Amino acid sequence: MRRGSIASLLGIGVVAGGCAAAVALALPWLPTPASDEAGRIKPLFWFVIVICIVVFALVIAVMLYSITHFRAAPDDDSDGPPVHGHTGLEIVWTLIPTLLVTSIGIFSAIVLSRNDALGANVLRVNVTAQQFAWSFSYPDAKGLTSGTLRLPVNRSVLLTFTAKDVIHSFWVPEFSQKQDTVPGITTSVHITPNRVGTFPVICTELCGLGHSVMRTQAIVMSPAAFEKWLHGQAKAVSSPSSDVAGAAVFKNNQCGACHTLKAAGASAATGPDLDTLPALAQGAGTPLEEFVRQSIVDPNAYVQKGYPRNVMPATYGKALSKQELDALVQYLISSSKKG
Amino acid sequence: MTATTVDHEVGPRSSGARHYLLHAGWIRALWMTALFGAFGFGLVVLLRWWGDWQPVLNWTPLVLVSVLVCAPLGFLAGLGTFDYWAAYAIGSPTRPDDHSSHGATSWKDYFKVNTDHKVIGIQYLVTTVVFFILGGMLALLVRAELAKPGTQYFDPQTYNGLFSVHASLMIFLFVIPAFAGLANFAVPLMLGAADMAFPRLNALSFWLLPIAGIMMLSSFVVPGGAFACGWTGYVPLCSTHQPLGAVFFNQGVQWAGASSIMTALNFLVTIITMRAPGMTFWRMPLLVWANFTTSLLVVVATPFIAGSQFFSMFDHVMHTAFFDPGNGGYALGYQHIFWFYSHPAVYIMMLPGFGIVSEVIAVFSRKPIFGYRLMALSLMAIVVLGFSVWAHHMFVSGMASYLRVPMMITTLLIAVPTGIKIFSWLATIWEGKLHFNTPMLFALGFLSMFVIGGLSGVMLGAVPIDIHVSDTYFIVAHIHYVLFGGSVFTIFAGMYYWFPKMTGRMYNERLGKLHFWLVFVGFNLTFFPMHLVGMEGMPRRVADYAPKFANLNMFISLASFGLGASTIVFLYNMITSWRSGPIAPSNPWRGMTLEWQVSSPPPIFNFDEIPQVVGSPYEYGVPGAQHAILAPARSKEIEEVTVP
Repeated sequence: MRRGSIASLLGIGVVAGGCAAAVALALPWLPTPASDEAGRIKPLFWFVIVICIVVFALVIAVMLYSITHFRAAPDDDSDGPPVHGHTGLEIVWTLIPTLLVTSIGIFSAIVLSRNDALGANVLRVNVTAQQFAWSFSYPDAKGLTSGTLRLPVNRSVLLTFTAKDVIHSFWVPEFSQKQDTVPGITTSVHITPNRVGTFPVICTELCGLGHSVMRTQAIVMSPAAFEKWLHGQAKAVSSPSSDVAGAAVFKNNQCGACHTLKAAGASAATGPDLDTLPALAQGAGTPLEEFVRQSIVDPNAYVQKGYPRNVMPATYGKALSKQELDALVQYLISSSKKG
Repeated sequence: MTATTVDHEVGPRSSGARHYLLHAGWIRALWMTALFGAFGFGLVVLLRWWGDWQPVLNWTPLVLVSVLVCAPLGFLAGLGTFDYWAAYAIGSPTRPDDHSSHGATSWKDYFKVNTDHKVIGIQYLVTTVVFFILGGMLALLVRAELAKPGTQYFDPQTYNGLFSVHASLMIFLFVIPAFAGLANFAVPLMLGAADMAFPRLNALSFWLLPIAGIMMLSSFVVPGGAFACGWTGYVPLCSTHQPLGAVFFNQGVQWAGASSIMTALNFLVTIITMRAPGMTFWRMPLLVWANFTTSLLVVVATPFIAGSQFFSMFDHVMHTAFFDPGNGGYALGYQHIFWFYSHPAVYIMMLPGFGIVSEVIAVFSRKPIFGYRLMALSLMAIVVLGFSVWAHHMFVSGMASYLRVPMMITTLLIAVPTGIKIFSWLATIWEGKLHFNTPMLFALGFLSMFVIGGLSGVMLGAVPIDIHVSDTYFIVAHIHYVLFGGSVFTIFAGMYYWFPKMTGRMYNERLGKLHFWLVFVGFNLTFFPMHLVGMEGMPRRVADYAPKFANLNMFISLASFGLGASTIVFLYNMITSWRSGPIAPSNPWRGMTLEWQVSSPPPIFNFDEIPQVVGSPYEYGVPGAQHAILAPARSKEIEEVTVP
């Protein structure tokens, strides 16, 4: 090879690698980490990206150089040099990739084992997934249940998952941790949130018709705020006032993910507007209380026109206790009459 | 057709003695489909009535047995795929050298049971292109819905059905059988054989395909809607939580899978036993090597998906509990069995493409394949390693966590043989005499796009990164870079490359190049941004998504419509060139492999005399080198008459 051709090959390689590096650097690839685990994944990500860019630049350089320099004239019927191989080269491009992927494997295994290692004073949260709602319960706080995941910052959290119906998957992009929830077995994932804020909880395993609305929030709070919330909530659920208890049930079961209810500050439009419940009951020709109860326990008994069947989970009849159901029905009736 | 047809006697089926309703063909297929369907219906009703299972008219088992099992068998029998075997079985006189259903003289012959591997190859390709277009249209509907956040056009059942059927058609009815079609045409020619080892089995394999495709598509019109659980069919969503449409998927996969297995067996026997004298394994073209290794994968792996779909269907229809956790089943068991097929399936969908690219690059670079033996050995390495990586699809599934690191290591190692292939192709074009005809453009396009898909695959192999991007649009981007940038580009390369040999006419080079550039640009604009939205937090298989992804999704949707439109150029080129393109010479690309040494299209039995292979198929630039010695063919004379 002439020296000039090596230079131009290198030149193309540097340009190709530069373009790829620019794409890698200019675009916001990984979300800003909000957990120690995500923080450990980031360097691994960049380690792999650098290897990828080098390999990509090499391939593109050789290819572009060949395309521009070895193009045959239209009437050129001659053949190229009959080179059949080169044992040295073949050994090199077997060994170097082997070493590169081995290094990626070792790095990954280290990150994985550190991410799975629990810290001291672990907070345990039991997560139940069902079509199409999450519920988080805190065994340390007498089984307090919430529809949003609230976590204290800088504390090791072990989420243990069960699924009621089909497979779901728990993902918070900012935590970079994901875990499928599988009916019949329990699974778990370890997260150490390190940034206060509100992050989306997304179901990433296709779980049925409402899969794209199976979302909630993970709220990372200061330890003091978290303790305060934990105790305040425990009181609200056991409150004798049905409105306070009903509001807690509404919130904990994520009704607001799909429905509008002004009193609860919910404004989703996947299901019918609950502020119009009296009118809906009239349309169905059923007394209001009976209508509301039936719509929760057996949602397919009457489906409002314009809304698909089978999206509202039919599992609430079993999931809610009788007190919870009564409180929720009373709360919905009183709120919708106000609204 | 030619003088060669006269050499072989006309078989008993053309005697015309039978009533027209009894002739093998579409009329008989019609009434036999109905008859078999009615039989299945009656059988279920009878058994349910006899066993006093109420209600007697339970539609799920009725539709399964009558429409999805019996009626297709009736169709196949009516069309005549079983005629020879049936005649043999009942003791009627048969002639093993009956060639009455061999070769095609008019377009009508393509709609009959034909035992000619060249006709079957074209039947495969035309059928798969039809399903490619249908599957592509479904994808465009998905993109239309995704152009804006919120739901616009489709209810959730229909939307989930759209992407599920899209993937199923593209995988089971396009990529896998399109490769089988190209190989069906090329492999026997390249081996110097007159046909496949089992021509009647070959015909049956083809006719199973339209059944599978129509089954998957028709699930849209059954009550309850299409199967809406993704092409992976994860249980229990796809077993106990789905309408009747899920059974159409379970059963469609069985027909397509049976077709795959039969074809693979056919290839294995053909390649092992029917190589021309002198064609040692180390003299086989890499396309043959690629189909040999692919067929090994198919025969070992495909029974696993068949099993997984049977179990899932039994759970759905017969209330067994293989995967039903409520009754002691194990939901993850499905995933292990499914991926034990479906990861090797990734290589089933890629290795034949490697073979095509090796042929195209050697011919259009005018150089021998660099490191031929290592190229063949790396195919074998992929086969072996391919069976040890399935659980990398399950890093977040909840399977035993100790499985993750070993599966990561095998997954990363499989990049090594793949890398060897990429570097060897680059070394092949290095200092060659490159001719940029359409097949070469698609081969080089494949090379650059597959590198991106391969590298994102290495990222996915690293468990902690995989945990972050599992089930997001990053996965969607990755699989489209390997299955579209990889497989589909090579299928296009193969179709343009063998078009002159198949049809006897040249395609329009300008339109071919236009097609390549439209696909190349449209493909990248469509799929590259998906890496970004996935990494940032957009899950896959959703109709609705966070508003922050709205702009990128609108961009992706617009690009996808452009990509879809490029197919019109391809179709126009193929159809007009097939009808009225310039007559192709026998060897337009100056290739050395055997298929280019016979006329275009080849004579009905390929070679007048079986050729003698004397050297490697890629000796470009070696003075006086020969791959094979062919007897001066009678078909040459005919060629001289038809080609002015």
